[in-house]
Amino acid sequence: MTDATAEFVPGRRSLLTVDDRTRRRNAAEARFRLYGLAAVTVALIALALLLVSIFANGVSAFRQTYVAIPVTLDAAKLDKSGKLDPAVMAKVTTVGYAPLLTKGLQAAMEENGISDQGLKAKAIGALISQDAAAQLRNMVLADPTLVGQTISFEALASGRIDGYFKGRVTMESAKLDSNVSPEQLALADALKEADILHSRFNMGFITAPDASEQRPEAAGLGVAILGSLYMMIVVLVLSLPIGVAASIYLEEFAPKNRFTDLIEVNISNLAAVPSIVYGILGLAIFINFAGLPQSAPIVGGLVLTLMTLPRIIIPARAALKAVPPSIRDAALGVGASKMQSVFHHVLPLAAPGILTGMIIGLAQALGETAPLLLIGMVAFVREYPGAPPEGFFDPASALPVQVYNWTQRADPAFVERAGGAIIVLLIFLVTMNAAAILLRRRFERRW
Amino acid sequence: MNDMTRREAEITATAIKISARNAQVYYGDNHAIKDVDVDIHDRMVTAFIGPSGCGKSTFLRCLNRMNDTIPSCRVEGRITLDGEDIYDKRVDPVQLRAKVGMVFQKPNPFPKSIFDNVAYGPRIHGLTRSKAELDEVVETSLRRAALWKEVKDRLHQPGTGLSGGQQQRLCIARAIATSPEVLLMDEPCSALDPIATAQVEELIDELRAQFSVVIVTHSMQQAARVSQRTAFFHLGNLVEFGETTQIFTKPRDPRTESYITGRIG
Repeated sequence: MTDATAEFVPGRRSLLTVDDRTRRRNAAEARFRLYGLAAVTVALIALALLLVSIFANGVSAFRQTYVAIPVTLDAAKLDKSGKLDPAVMAKVTTVGYAPLLTKGLQAAMEENGISDQGLKAKAIGALISQDAAAQLRNMVLADPTLVGQTISFEALASGRIDGYFKGRVTMESAKLDSNVSPEQLALADALKEADILHSRFNMGFITAPDASEQRPEAAGLGVAILGSLYMMIVVLVLSLPIGVAASIYLEEFAPKNRFTDLIEVNISNLAAVPSIVYGILGLAIFINFAGLPQSAPIVGGLVLTLMTLPRIIIPARAALKAVPPSIRDAALGVGASKMQSVFHHVLPLAAPGILTGMIIGLAQALGETAPLLLIGMVAFVREYPGAPPEGFFDPASALPVQVYNWTQRADPAFVERAGGAIIVLLIFLVTMNAAAILLRRRFERRW
Repeated sequence: MNDMTRREAEITATAIKISARNAQVYYGDNHAIKDVDVDIHDRMVTAFIGPSGCGKSTFLRCLNRMNDTIPSCRVEGRITLDGEDIYDKRVDPVQLRAKVGMVFQKPNPFPKSIFDNVAYGPRIHGLTRSKAELDEVVETSLRRAALWKEVKDRLHQPGTGLSGGQQQRLCIARAIATSPEVLLMDEPCSALDPIATAQVEELIDELRAQFSVVIVTHSMQQAARVSQRTAFFHLGNLVEFGETTQIFTKPRDPRTESYITGRIG
């Protein structure tokens, strides 16, 4: 300041020269723009890295290696009574079916003149997933007339063989691996050459239930997707009416006093409560006190509803507040009651905002893991939940919990599975957010 | 202004529609309206004039209890419509507002079609029994609001797409569609250009045939043009109330004279 006064010279400055002060201000603005650009660039790079790493890890989960072989369903082994009695046939376990698959593979090798690399039958059979025998058994039990026939069967290749073709398993790693030998890999190469072994899109990843540690190749998201879907139904059905009704009441009807102020503060606080706290609450209230079953979508849905409600109420109230008061006045001025003015005019105008908040709240709930861990959704569930409404009470998993579950497992094949599950989850989230944007565009009105 | 005798005859002939005695309005601790006594005659235009913040809009909003929506607002005294106290506990403000319609300062059509804007009041009050009847009410209201010719081909387009003056006439049509007995207008022309203002003023003059109209205005010329009686408010007090010609030519109170000559306000 003192300098400025000292140097101050009265008189007109030319517009054509830029004075120091203006130059400094312009420089500050340029710097600020640069910071902003840098921040956005860093964010974009982080997002790109995230997507690249997820897709690099996960995309391969959607393709799987299969072995197409003829399988002779030996009547002597599968149906000892010879009467196609389902009860008797069900006594043959997967152990009885596995040799049939091995024989089928050996037959296919013979036919194509592929050497067995000195491998024993058991080692050859190990190329096929343990789950394939179970699939074959289910197929036969579903259609007993197949017994005695030779069918062409597409069996899942085992996780290590699949990993070999995806680059996860190499000859070097196989030498150190007790689950697979280099000879088996060489045989797999030969089978691939003969087109007995091929890889294709893996529908089972979307539809199949989870599988145990030993058979990552069979693990799928079916139960998790169903569980997540059921939970979202519960959350939607409960939180939409409760959330919208609460926000309308608080915003339009409630008297402004200390009590409603308290409620308001608490809603804001609840929106910031860590989600795992809701899990503890759900465990205490819904499972221990109300006696609802563990791992059930209904409990997950209730917990997520509690978590989502404040996150729906806050944007819904903001949307209601944004409706200009002149619209309310207009309605009251022609003799509409308070409720008519709200439901005929205010709510339709606030609807896009409420819907957007709703969908974003649902998307958050869909991606939530922590509270579900506490209410037992982390359990290993292979049975599909039943059809609603009973299905809401059956054990199920959920997409984010499935991701968490798979990352815990030892076999690296599950890392790929987890990546694939994240992709599925992201697709759901992006779809929901896109729906939110579309709804907004569609219903947004000007006034 | 020219046929003064007819006007004066009318003034004495019409009955009193709304009467306020000793009306007080408080916003919390703020005493906004003090001891106002006003008689609003039927089939006549009454203008409320005064400087900003003098309470004329506040008082207008008391007449159909729009102030009920402001929690801190409290009204005392007696305001009657056809002799019935509108602040009586038994009075439902919703029913009152159907009889005392209101047009606001800023045109505020609903973001719906022109037809739905006008039909809204009759619909919620169940005034029509059939679609044909409703169509008729909408048409008459739009005709009376001098808007029919301009919008008859676009009844199902949004009312918000009209120009400012058209929107305000739409709001007037909406207000008269419920056949109110009194029409309150809170600075209806303040957001309009001179041509639209002239149209609305002409309309007000026509509406006088059916309704009692109360208009709040900042423009003294407008008050002089459209009203038969004028009330001058200042700092929450009703300073002077009388026939418009008398107020503007021979004001009794020195404050009124200062205001209309532009010295206060």
